[in-house]
Amino acid sequence: MESSAKKAQEFIKQPKGLSDRVQWLREYYFDGNERAWNNENTSWTTGTPWDEQYDELTFYIVPETYALLKTLHSSYRMAARPVALREDFWKLSIPERRAWFNREVMVHYLPHEILPGDLIAGGRFNIQTSMCLTKKEQEKRNRMITGKKGSRARMKWFHDHGYGNAGATSGHLVPGHERALSLGWKGIHEELEEMYDDLTSSEKKGPKGAQLRAMMTAATMPGQVAKKYAEACRDQAVKVTDSMRREELLQMAKNLERVPWEPPKTFWEALQALWLNHMLIMADENYPGPGVSFGRIDQYLYPYWKYSIDTGMDREFGKEIMKCFWVHANTAYDSMIRTGNQGITAGFGQLLTISGRGKDGEDLSNDLTYAILEVIDEMSPILEPKPNVRLHQNTPDELLDRVVAMIESSQGAPFLLNFDERSMAGMMKEARMARFEHLINDDTVWDYAPVGCLENTMVGNDRSGTVDNNLNLLKAVELVLTGGRDMHPFTDPITGKTEKPTQDGPRTGDPRTFATWDEFWDAYVTQTRYIIKKIVDLYESSERIRACFNPTPYLSCMVKGCAESGRDITQGAAEISFTTLEAVTYATTVDSLLAVKYLVFDQEECTMDELIQALRDNWEGHQVLQARAKNRAPKYGRDDDGADEMARKVMELWTGETWKHRTLSTGRQFRPGMLSWNYWAGDGFIMAASPDGREKGQFLSNAICPSNGADINGPTANTNSVGKVLGGRARDNQGDWDGYNNMLPNGASHTITFNPSILKDPEHREKFKAFLRGYVENGGTALQINMLDPDMLRDAQKHPQDYRHLLVRVTGYNAYFTSIGKELQDEVIARVSHSRF
Amino acid sequence: MSVTKDITTLKGTVLEIQRMSTEDGPGIRTTVFMKGCPLSCTWCHNPESISPRPQVHWIGSRCIMCKMCIDVCPENALYLDAGGIEVNRELCTGCGRCADECPSTALELLGRKWTVHELVAELVKDRAFFEKSGGGITVSGGEPTLQKEFVTELLKTLRGQGIHTAIDTCGVCGKDALDRILPHANLVLFDVKLIDAELHRGFTGSSNERILENLWHVARLVKEHLYPRELWVRTPVIPGATDTDENIRGIGEFLAGLPAGVITRWELCAFNNLCVDKYTRLGRQWDFADAALMYEERMEYLAEIARSTGVDPAIVLWTGSTRYEGNNDDTGEKKKSIKNNPTSCQGGIT
Repeated sequence: MESSAKKAQEFIKQPKGLSDRVQWLREYYFDGNERAWNNENTSWTTGTPWDEQYDELTFYIVPETYALLKTLHSSYRMAARPVALREDFWKLSIPERRAWFNREVMVHYLPHEILPGDLIAGGRFNIQTSMCLTKKEQEKRNRMITGKKGSRARMKWFHDHGYGNAGATSGHLVPGHERALSLGWKGIHEELEEMYDDLTSSEKKGPKGAQLRAMMTAATMPGQVAKKYAEACRDQAVKVTDSMRREELLQMAKNLERVPWEPPKTFWEALQALWLNHMLIMADENYPGPGVSFGRIDQYLYPYWKYSIDTGMDREFGKEIMKCFWVHANTAYDSMIRTGNQGITAGFGQLLTISGRGKDGEDLSNDLTYAILEVIDEMSPILEPKPNVRLHQNTPDELLDRVVAMIESSQGAPFLLNFDERSMAGMMKEARMARFEHLINDDTVWDYAPVGCLENTMVGNDRSGTVDNNLNLLKAVELVLTGGRDMHPFTDPITGKTEKPTQDGPRTGDPRTFATWDEFWDAYVTQTRYIIKKIVDLYESSERIRACFNPTPYLSCMVKGCAESGRDITQGAAEISFTTLEAVTYATTVDSLLAVKYLVFDQEECTMDELIQALRDNWEGHQVLQARAKNRAPKYGRDDDGADEMARKVMELWTGETWKHRTLSTGRQFRPGMLSWNYWAGDGFIMAASPDGREKGQFLSNAICPSNGADINGPTANTNSVGKVLGGRARDNQGDWDGYNNMLPNGASHTITFNPSILKDPEHREKFKAFLRGYVENGGTALQINMLDPDMLRDAQKHPQDYRHLLVRVTGYNAYFTSIGKELQDEVIARVSHSRF
Repeated sequence: MSVTKDITTLKGTVLEIQRMSTEDGPGIRTTVFMKGCPLSCTWCHNPESISPRPQVHWIGSRCIMCKMCIDVCPENALYLDAGGIEVNRELCTGCGRCADECPSTALELLGRKWTVHELVAELVKDRAFFEKSGGGITVSGGEPTLQKEFVTELLKTLRGQGIHTAIDTCGVCGKDALDRILPHANLVLFDVKLIDAELHRGFTGSSNERILENLWHVARLVKEHLYPRELWVRTPVIPGATDTDENIRGIGEFLAGLPAGVITRWELCAFNNLCVDKYTRLGRQWDFADAALMYEERMEYLAEIARSTGVDPAIVLWTGSTRYEGNNDDTGEKKKSIKNNPTSCQGGIT
């Protein structure tokens, strides 16, 4: 045990150079459940008997919650405390009620506390507030959810039958922080007033007027909340005995009396304003953090940083403020504090972006970029905020050196790398496909930023539903093999009832009669069209409910397009308003098609009948055929041009189909991406055995990564395959952007695990830097680098108590290794070892 | 062999292609291992590279015991015993039918034939990484000069496409082979294993006389011609074979006598034992199966000796894995006496 603990000490990155203050705050945070103070959800009601708080729609993409939906509804309802309503409350429109109610809770009902030593105010924001609906409205909403063809039943059917999931989800955007800082809420409020005054009197009486009034109410919330915290600081200043702390508290009070209502001047004020503006989005949406992203903070905070440094702020003190900010971001997890280990499944992603190129290809790194990297290094391991470093053709050596040093000391990158050129090509592609060239073009595209994990969007005017639709492409292969029915009948695990398979998909014929591969492919095309249409329809069932009943007027203030159109962001009012279809199981699907072609048509190793029987039997009794499928059939991810060509055809097909769809209720264009969150693990237990040799219950492939163990030709081959299937490089710079093509504007999650020996000495570190520069040329949009040692991981499996803080990064999201299941641990170990199947 | 043989039909026997190789020359490289070697070093790390003929080997962890290989072998060279599938090396002709049939790739045919064009198409795939890293292609082995015609055409084609080329040789070949191949190589990696001729014969099966002559020849080529540009010398540090003070000192003194400035790097490569399974798979015993990794201190110490021999000390470095403290129970027994550095062992990367 002792040696194991010693080993853990040696291997695992420890925080370093923290002041007593930050050390205390960080450790206090990790006390989790034991803390006297926390940011657990509180629930608030209008007091009506029909009132509801919990919005299940926003959790439809989290299958783990399905079994809990009813419990969560009732527990929040029962725990809800009443808020005294203004007299005319029920005369107001829904957005006005909601704006007023949330402000009331945040300003007058939640306590305003400052933790010892903290330099940033803004503690409690996890709230579940009343939907503020009348009886009639609430009943209508409930019907749309729980009715026979309601969104809940449809969502559940879709997931149970292995298609995936979809739902109108909160968060997942980069709001206009730069604008909110530079104007202050005072400026935003003035703009809203002007717009409201410009409305005709009939517009004022209609939904536009209501929306703008709601937004004006919401725009006063940050200033009022700040005043409350200013009072709290002054109260505490009287009580503390330490004179330095008193000065700090008084300065914080002064800051809060100005910002975020007035525009900040100093770095401290700017970070304080940014935190409140950000935290109130989570309050407004009743959604604790996932994908509520900051954008390029080293760019828009730099003027404040420079001003403060020039006027005498100690650089280390600037970092100290940031570290307090870091701790605050982690308290979002308090929403799940009672589920243990800080509720860390790490699906959150308050993403911040640093570095990256400017309009003319120049690198925009500055002193704040490096200061933020230092903060990340000194604070890690810690989950939030999640940093993303943008690399590009002109990234300076200095930055790469820093990046590589941090990868080396943290058993993998404590950040995701985003690659500008390939990403920008995707943004230009979506501009062309959706006629947004006036908003996304050569003059603007360089200022994109990722949200959540790696999902690329524009900033301050864009909500692209980046996690809203998650489709298992593999379902189309299953449906071809069965002529449009599930391969196995579905048995409800709770009722034990087994459904009879029905003709769900198109009748593409009995595959045993297919004489050629082309016939199989044509059937696959038809089934792919069907599953995409199916998810588009499913999404509509929750999107239209949100658009009618769940406005977020505060967030709408921070996204361009809402005030201008007088509509809420939930109604698709952002200037750029896509919803993203994230394909899951990509490599498993490609490898399955390759296997069918190889086994049945090219090599004639078996008949279609034998293959289908093997799949129905979950490969049991078909060991030789399974081995052939796994080992002999070609695979995506090896830089094998033949296999990668199939992968590219699959990519062209599903992305092409995706672009054909738009939401009916909100007019949002669907766009393609590849993020698999954790579905590739969970849905592996739902989906039937696949022709690539995978058994039911084994994991599916993750995002754009090759299937587990398939990338036998190493990191460069893996990288080349990924770049190729995105569209590769164009000749004569005639690509989507410059010489780059990219069929996935959202981007794609790509993880490569390296043996630590790649960083063993300066010479090898240079080689690794060159690998990253090569990735800029040949690779995808985003890369997570893991640097793990299988022995260490096995030791961690045996002695989890010694590895509590060992972070592994699986899909571009982080997880504590010891908190993930044995299967996933084994999967991570298998990847590390680069072993075969 | 005819010089005018058609390049489209000329074929080479390749053991393996390794992408993102970081140990065989500058930058990120793709290393091609050619099959066949005139030496038979007792410590050889790539025993499957020695025979110029294709060979099959069996990887037990992949095998599903379907025994289809046994049925398909036309020579009846395969059989099942307690340890798994065995290959009767007397009977096996290396036709590869078993490997073609094997559903799980447990049987692999080592040594595939490639034309120059096929191989070049495969090798240029990582061009972007070569360009960013100053890397390229290393042709290794085996001994690449054994397939001098193929290797010449291969390097010529790669150089024609602007790709950095390196050749890794054991030095046992005719001067004509060097004269033909090296004008197309940017870099020569030249192995010098043992300076004592008798020991060399004992451990590798042949004398080092020709090797040392060829080293002189390569040094002159580097000095007097545009290509090859650079010469790196590599010495494998094998416990109980090449790891003596005298050997390293002797090699160093020899190198110091070569034209100044020609050798830009002398690498002492620490023994590694990762190849132990390869011997088992080929049905062979390995004298070094139980040998432990070198100690980091010992490598440092030998590098110091190397630096004191008259070669430019800046060109000497050592590479490879060393022992990790506590990963061997037999510490001490195989530990070499350390003269200069008596401190305890530090953990190296294993």
